[in-house]
Amino acid sequence: MSSLPARGVMQQVAAAIPMECRGEIIVVGSLAATYHFFGSDPNAVITTKDVDAMLSPNALALRNAKIVAESLFEAGWTLREDAQRGKAGDRSTPEEELPILRLHPAGNTDWYLELAAAPPEGRAESKVIQRLSTSQGDFGLYSFRFLALAEEDPLRSEFGISYARPEMMALANLLHHPQIGPEVVRGSTDKRSNKDLGRALALAWLSTERDRDALETWHPRWRTALERRFPKEWRDLALRAGKGLRALLDDKHKLDLDQATRLCNLSLLRGRGLGAEALRATGRRLLVEALAPLESAARTMPGA
Amino acid sequence: MIEDTSPPTRHGYRPDFRFGNTLVEVKADLHSFRNFRAALLQLAYYLSDDTDDRGLLVLVNPRITEAALRNEWRLIERALHPAMVRRLTLAVRRQSGIIPIAGNLKPALSKRLLLDNADRDARVQPNRAPHSSDAILLVLLNQWFLRKGPMTNQWLMRAVGCSYPTVAKALRRLQDVIQRFPDRRFQLWGFPTDEWNRIVANRERAHPTLHYADRSGQPRNAESLLRRASKSGRNDIAIGGVIAARHYHPDLDLRGTPRLDLTLHSPDGHADLSFIEGLDPALERVTDKEERATLAIHVLRRQTSLFVAAPKGLPWADPVATLLGLYDARLEAQAKEFLDHLVMSVG
Repeated sequence: MSSLPARGVMQQVAAAIPMECRGEIIVVGSLAATYHFFGSDPNAVITTKDVDAMLSPNALALRNAKIVAESLFEAGWTLREDAQRGKAGDRSTPEEELPILRLHPAGNTDWYLELAAAPPEGRAESKVIQRLSTSQGDFGLYSFRFLALAEEDPLRSEFGISYARPEMMALANLLHHPQIGPEVVRGSTDKRSNKDLGRALALAWLSTERDRDALETWHPRWRTALERRFPKEWRDLALRAGKGLRALLDDKHKLDLDQATRLCNLSLLRGRGLGAEALRATGRRLLVEALAPLESAARTMPGA
Repeated sequence: MIEDTSPPTRHGYRPDFRFGNTLVEVKADLHSFRNFRAALLQLAYYLSDDTDDRGLLVLVNPRITEAALRNEWRLIERALHPAMVRRLTLAVRRQSGIIPIAGNLKPALSKRLLLDNADRDARVQPNRAPHSSDAILLVLLNQWFLRKGPMTNQWLMRAVGCSYPTVAKALRRLQDVIQRFPDRRFQLWGFPTDEWNRIVANRERAHPTLHYADRSGQPRNAESLLRRASKSGRNDIAIGGVIAARHYHPDLDLRGTPRLDLTLHSPDGHADLSFIEGLDPALERVTDKEERATLAIHVLRRQTSLFVAAPKGLPWADPVATLLGLYDARLEAQAKEFLDHLVMSVG
């Protein structure tokens, strides 16, 4: 795992995005979180190689992805080599076999930018792939359903590009994992659900570090975001948002919480030496102060 | 082996601990069917959120007989869904051992209940009334500090919730510091140093306290906890400890507020602690006295709270309860200063 200066990477990504698309890209994931919480610290680092950026809105995502990709190719950014799906596809490659567009900055293989698209409205699939045809071949432009929440009132970096709000990334992660699933993170034995649910806890912990009452401000924004992004099913989503977290905090999943804690201590919570008990307590705060009011709002019938 | 961990809270409740796939709720000195039914239903609600777990309700020294509990269980079998009934177990713990009443009690769990956790949980229930003589002395002191004037036997009996012989006996014991008036009323005329030292030395008996510590690594400060407590809508809690001491004695020599002390009025012994989750879900009960508590709940068992109304928000705990809170927080110097202030104020 590399350690990258968060502010420097945000600046480099912003500078590389063509001006015409700069307002239509949202940084998500580790870089967004690290920049948000530690952006003012020149020594703050992100510990992952991938920098995730989502093109928004979906209607313009394919067009903008092409513009961004060609611009980066022209600036000397290079495709990330990947033993499994390293090469670009062509017109005959089925969409589900297309590689994701992952580009290293010119002369630097420490990290890569991974492009995704905001999800199309009204689709219920957890993942949608669109074909992105470029001068260097075809790639898959992925959309993850709940990343629609990252489009909600994103924050603006000092370098002109936007990044997702911590609470929206937390909610996306919570919704993505209604249970502790068996799927593992590529190249490791760590469960994907533990990593992502742990990420939600880390975002909650860091928000609380800034403001002890921060979690109480999350549920009104969550409700607004769910109503706007998923108008027909927001109640169901609100009611299931806490399921995975409750499972993670259950004693039956003690080892999963231990794993989530370890992963948090390697990334966003690095250097804090937090134990599973601290994350469990943070989880209780998240459940009581953010998720319970959201669930309560979802149970209230219209007009009641 | 007992996994001595707190299950997560659901519906504002969590069982005492988990043993394998069994969630265990321990109730000590339970004396009514109403409370028994409430405890069982709470556990059933909790189990209904999960399909695998079982529930065990352990009644420690209940005042209900085993035969009556078996009869009650038959009604429960008729009322609850059979799938839920199959997941529930009821047992009684008396000095003679564990007595299964209904359901399947695993021998390993039964053995463990005998050894530790049930005992521990029964001990920590703040439902045992303190000695009436202690409660009487605290009320006498409080009335004296606040210069409320002499009182009658009837008033003291009602305030404490005890009988005439108990009051009479306590007053005989305190006769050296009791001033009697021709109309049979009485009050303290001086500070009963020896009796007070005895109270302080045994304050867990006179003034049982539950301690809570933050587990997140991000403790909320006393002011934040107080703000939330003030919104709880509860009329049975009052502010004690350092914050109340500053109210009674603004010159108290102490910087900062190390913790929040609240006094919970619980005359029937059923301390409803559900509001604590609203103060901070990251708090957990601690019994290790070396551990730093961010919240202390003092359980007040006498009949009358003697809370002092505040213009807004929660009332103040009485000065004596406040003083005992300072001792509990190990603020001996401040406690002495506050005590001196109270005694001097009487003149």
